Amino acid sequence: MRFQRDVLIDELYDLARRDKDIYFLSADFGAPSLDRFREDLADQFLHVGISEQNMIDMAAGMALSGKKVYVYAMGPFITLRCLEQLKCSLAQMNLPVTVISVGLGLGYADAGPTHYATEDLACLRSIVNCEVYTPSDTTTVVTLARLTNHKPAFRVLRLDRNSMERIYEGDVPIEQGVHEIHKGERIGVISCGYVLQRMWMNWDEICGGKSIGLIDLFCNKPINLEGLRPLLEKYDSIITVEEQCLTGGFGSAILEGISDLGMHNQVKRLGLAERYYFENGGRDWLLDTFGLSNKTVSAMIHSC
Amino acid sequence: MFLRAKQGHPGSVFSQIEITAVLYYGGVLRYRHGDPEWSERDKVIVSKGHATMGLYPILADIAYFPKEELTKYGSGEGILRIFGNITIPGIEVTTGSLAHGQGVGAGFAYSNKKDGNASKTFVIISEGEMYEGSVWETALFASHHKLDNLILVIDRNRNIILGDTEDLVGLSPVEDKWRAFGWDTYTIDGHSIEELLDAFHQANNANGKPKVIVANTVKGKGSSIMENRPEWHYWQGMTDDEINFTRRELRETP
Repeated sequence: MRFQRDVLIDELYDLARRDKDIYFLSADFGAPSLDRFREDLADQFLHVGISEQNMIDMAAGMALSGKKVYVYAMGPFITLRCLEQLKCSLAQMNLPVTVISVGLGLGYADAGPTHYATEDLACLRSIVNCEVYTPSDTTTVVTLARLTNHKPAFRVLRLDRNSMERIYEGDVPIEQGVHEIHKGERIGVISCGYVLQRMWMNWDEICGGKSIGLIDLFCNKPINLEGLRPLLEKYDSIITVEEQCLTGGFGSAILEGISDLGMHNQVKRLGLAERYYFENGGRDWLLDTFGLSNKTVSAMIHSC
Repeated sequence: MFLRAKQGHPGSVFSQIEITAVLYYGGVLRYRHGDPEWSERDKVIVSKGHATMGLYPILADIAYFPKEELTKYGSGEGILRIFGNITIPGIEVTTGSLAHGQGVGAGFAYSNKKDGNASKTFVIISEGEMYEGSVWETALFASHHKLDNLILVIDRNRNIILGDTEDLVGLSPVEDKWRAFGWDTYTIDGHSIEELLDAFHQANNANGKPKVIVANTVKGKGSSIMENRPEWHYWQGMTDDEINFTRRELRETP
């Protein structure tokens, strides 16, 4: 088990040692791996203060100057706090900056809604030119780190706070945007991130003897509809599972995609109700209590 | 250009016109005629994107693009938009929403320091941008990182859309605020060529401090129809008599 952020920063460390144009900017957010980066590559690390807006505008100026910039902070702050800067400075000029957003969903349990990122995907989906990835394990993170380097673009990487297992052993088909982890019949579950990994670890129990598809849609924007099409043809019923408010989120994106493809799958969405969560009890307790337990997924499968 | 396009922001352009003229024609900026991509050029960002068009005649004059483009401003037939963007040669940053230019400019300045590039970055902001918190985030950063290659010019014409800044939410004392953030400050008459030249000359040093020139200006300067008239933030339309009168006035402005 490793933290996605450490896996990412270790990859960037290797890349940055060979490429002096790589810069890593932090708005006062750390990681054990970042300590090594800061020490060994001090010239390529920049603490911008707790100033996400300035960080994004700065990153735009640096990208226009030919730098390969990574900006790093906690999820809610590096997305919604500086959404205007993401739009005006990165998206409008379509600059190749990688935004590393840590702590998606209720990752920072039990801090409460200020520290949760449960509305970020809905906002980011509306930003033009913005690619959004939510890796469900650590192997995907390695692949993403390399993608940011060999194919620079304006991307947001939504990383988890918790440590994660490896789902993928070999190459992750990152350009495909979607991967069928478990093949099944009739019913397919589409998800990404921590909630996908939670289901993956208890998949047999969730399926209760049925053969159910588990689909990792790690590229949330743009969704590769042509990559998704054969899966939608194969599975009559789709269940989407997301650690986001349902409004404008992941399931909503898939519904729109199905409509755009002119398909007619039955779709059921599981996610967080549109309210703020002040309750305490740990992340898994929150997910279990507020509609994202594996039992709920299981019940949904059996109702299809 | 305003007459043809029947839109634009003349009040803000006339407010900063001497600032941009001195930058390009007063020997302040380093640039190469006809070569907008020269890597050692000094960079100008008009952060108040509605006034970017004030640069267009200058950029055409220094052969960054053909002068005929000026006749197509805002028409959709040419390359020049009401608000500038980076597809236009010589426009370094796409602006429009207030208070981004300074942060992006700090990104230029920081990169130039890292690269040992002597290029300087000049950012023109309206005083109204000082209301945005991100301006002060960048102010802290630029000072800490000793970005003496970043020169901010505040076009202080006292007018925002609904009136005088000092009546609405006061910004004074402007210089003290910047000095407290560690910037060198110069307060001048923003319509005086001599004072502008002198301020840019003084600001041209490597003392480890970012610079801010507070240019006191008059919105719509040179036209008695427009001067200090909030509605002339945006083009209002003129009769033929008013057009002739304004042309005479602008020619006679010292």
